[in-house]
Amino acid sequence: MNEQKLDFLRELAVIGTGHATIALSQMLQGRMFKLVVPDAQMLPFTEAADYMGGLEQVVVGIFVVISGDVRGYMACLHPLDTARLLVRLLTGQETEEIDELGRSALQELGNIMVTSFLNALSKMTNLLMMPSVPGLAIDMAGAVWESILAGAEVTNEVTVIRTKFSAEGEEIEGHIIFLPDEDDFRKIARQFGLENLG
Amino acid sequence: MTEVFVNMGEISSAKNHGILTTVGLGSCIGVTLYDHKVKVGVMGHIFLPRSRSNDQGAPPGKYADTGIPAMIQEALRLGASKSRLQAKLAGGANLFPNLSLNTISIGQQNIQAVTELLTQHGIPIVGQDVAGNHGRKMRFFVDNGVVTVTAIGKEPVQI
Repeated sequence: MNEQKLDFLRELAVIGTGHATIALSQMLQGRMFKLVVPDAQMLPFTEAADYMGGLEQVVVGIFVVISGDVRGYMACLHPLDTARLLVRLLTGQETEEIDELGRSALQELGNIMVTSFLNALSKMTNLLMMPSVPGLAIDMAGAVWESILAGAEVTNEVTVIRTKFSAEGEEIEGHIIFLPDEDDFRKIARQFGLENLG
Repeated sequence: MTEVFVNMGEISSAKNHGILTTVGLGSCIGVTLYDHKVKVGVMGHIFLPRSRSNDQGAPPGKYADTGIPAMIQEALRLGASKSRLQAKLAGGANLFPNLSLNTISIGQQNIQAVTELLTQHGIPIVGQDVAGNHGRKMRFFVDNGVVTVTAIGKEPVQI
C-alpha cells in the first residue's frame, strides 16, 4: 500500500467534498456541514462488499459516470432518514414515501454535489471531468453498492475515496465516493507534480 | 440452524442442513445448486459474466464462466450427482435504469451468462426471480432446497 498515494487521495477528497457540501449548504438555507476526515483506500475486491457495511439498510444511492480526460465513477449514498429530510427541505413535502418529485429533487441534489466535486478537481488540474445524468436507486445498501462496483467493472482492486459529512444537530449525513479509473488517476497526480503514484 | 453469509464473488456450500444467505443482490446474480437426494447445496454470488485476463487471482465465484464450473465441482465434492443438480437464480437487476452504461445491463448479461452455462452443463433452472430494478436478499434452506427471495417493499417470494 502506497501511503503517499493515499495521502494524496485524501487531499482530493477534502477538496472535492468541501465544494460539494458548500453546494449542498447553498441549497439548504445555509446549513453548515462537518466533514469527517476522508477515508482513502485501495481495497481488494474481496473486501469491497463489506466496505459500506449495513448491507440490508435502505439507502438512497446516486450514481454518475465520469467522462472526459479523467474517467471513472462517482456516487453519493445517504441513509433513508437523511434522504427523507432532504426531500422535505427541498420540496416542503412531509411524506414517508419518496415519490417522483422527491426522487427528482434527490437526483438534482446529487447532480449538483457531484458536479461541484468534479469542477473543483477540474479547476485544479485542468483536466476535463464530466458527469453523466445521475442514476438514482432507493434500495438495500448492499445491492446499491455492488451495482456501483459492477458498473465500474472492478477487477482485483478498487481505489475508493469516501468522505462522510453531517450537519450540526440534524440527521443529515452521507458519503461521497469517487472511483477513478487507475490510469486516469495518475493523470491527476501528475498535475500535482506527483509522478510516481500508484 | 447455522446461517452462512455468501459475499460478492464467494461460493459456499452445506450438506443436510443450514442456511446459505446472500444479502444485497443488485446487478449480481445469486445462484443455488441443489441435489435433493443427498441434500447438498451450493450458493454462489456472481459479480460479472466473464472473467478477464487483467484480473488474475480473482476468486472463481466472481465471474459466471469460472463460478458455475467451480460450484458444480463443489457440489460433486460433497457427494452430489451432476444429473440430479437443479438450479435457482435471483438478482440480475438494473438499479440505475436511466444510466445506460451498456446497451445490455450488467444484470441482464449476468442472467444470460449463467443461464447459458447451466444449460451447457445440463442443469435445469427450476426457479428464478431475476431482472427488474430492485435489490434482493436470497436465502437457501439446504434441508429441503427451498429458496426465499425478499426485496424492499415487496412480498417475499419462494422459488
